[in-house]
Amino acid sequence: FSGLADVSITEDIPVEGEITVPVGSHSPDEDFSTLDEPVRDTIMRDLKAVGKKFVHVMYPKKSSALLRDWDLWGPLVLCVSLALMLQGGSADSKDDGGPQFAEVFVIIWFGAVVITLNSKLLGGTISFFQSLCVLGYCVLPLTVAMLVCRLVLLAGSGTVSFVIRLIVVVAMFGWSTLASTAFLADSQPPNRKALVVYPIFLFYFVISWMILTFTPQ
Amino acid sequence: RRRAVRGGGRRRGSPGPSPLTGLPPQALVDDTEDVSLDFGSEEELALRKAKIRHPLATFFHLFFRVSAIITYLFCDWFSNSFVACFVTILLLLSFDFWSVKNVTGRLLVGLRWWNQIDEDGKSHWVFEAKRVPTIAASTEAEARIFWLGLIICPVIWTVFFFSTLFSLKLKWLALVIAGISLQTANLYGYIHCKLGGQKSISRVTSRFFVTADAPK
Repeated sequence: FSGLADVSITEDIPVEGEITVPVGSHSPDEDFSTLDEPVRDTIMRDLKAVGKKFVHVMYPKKSSALLRDWDLWGPLVLCVSLALMLQGGSADSKDDGGPQFAEVFVIIWFGAVVITLNSKLLGGTISFFQSLCVLGYCVLPLTVAMLVCRLVLLAGSGTVSFVIRLIVVVAMFGWSTLASTAFLADSQPPNRKALVVYPIFLFYFVISWMILTFTPQ
Repeated sequence: RRRAVRGGGRRRGSPGPSPLTGLPPQALVDDTEDVSLDFGSEEELALRKAKIRHPLATFFHLFFRVSAIITYLFCDWFSNSFVACFVTILLLLSFDFWSVKNVTGRLLVGLRWWNQIDEDGKSHWVFEAKRVPTIAASTEAEARIFWLGLIICPVIWTVFFFSTLFSLKLKWLALVIAGISLQTANLYGYIHCKLGGQKSISRVTSRFFVTADAPK
């Protein structure tokens, strides 16, 4: 080390510094070291959120839970179950209800997207996914109506059953429309409310029509 | 004179060849001391050395995506029913979206993104990148698997989109579009996290080097 012989450190220069590493903000999952715990917690938390939203749809009082923590699991489950129930054909036929299943899917999602775009273009303050979330969850009463209709059709398909189905579907249609407008119409300026409610009315009307005119083969 | 330093502090009954010279330790028996160095527990040591520290997360990251693609390609073999295939693939795609967004992203690469809606109804997209590496932080192999899986699968679904469109099997189109949008959403979110974290990561590291620079 002969080259460093003439290097000298004078007493004036303070030799100091920080060796601490700045610790960033602790995100809540930094302390987990196992895989099982956090995944189970995450799943349970999401399931509880979905369940709470279903309850909110059945008793539509003005609450921010549906609006703030949106998720699309409920709409997915409802859409799939509605589309499954709306299939008419038997499992062995060549035309096994394929197009009908995809049709219901496309109608529901495309319809919801169009309504959302409409309300955004009219100056609504609600975000895209929130609106999709609300519209999807409010399909729940109609899914219940579909279930009831299928059960009634098992008993018979005469005039009486038609009247029962009509009453049930109309009631659930009204419930769906009221529930979704209760959440969505508030985000609009007051003179535009009718313009926003009308497409929602049409959307649920089309779904109710599909439910009412369903006849099993 | 050499000291054979063995971590763990265990004195073996008949020691094998010395790890340093390969010679039998007969000559070193007098000089050899078992110095117990605390490297941490055996598990932590194994964890640090392992190439893949989160095997379950890595498996599930790829499992749902690849199963969805395989089911789409071979749906005729599995079942005659269009509906069953449709629902199965859709469920696989949804589980994949959820697990990549909520679990494998934060475990394999330390990134996370989500949407938050605050009091006055404004929605923010939040992109978070983990800066402080922990013992169970991800390895290069895991990160490589993560990004490869994230990028290749949307490309495959786009290929399916064009093949469905041109072969006019339009009833599958809805499913393919759903697949593309779900997988591209994750890809976009994580790229945004990665790029958003770049600036702040370089700032943090430069700060670290400046403050810890002691003259040698």
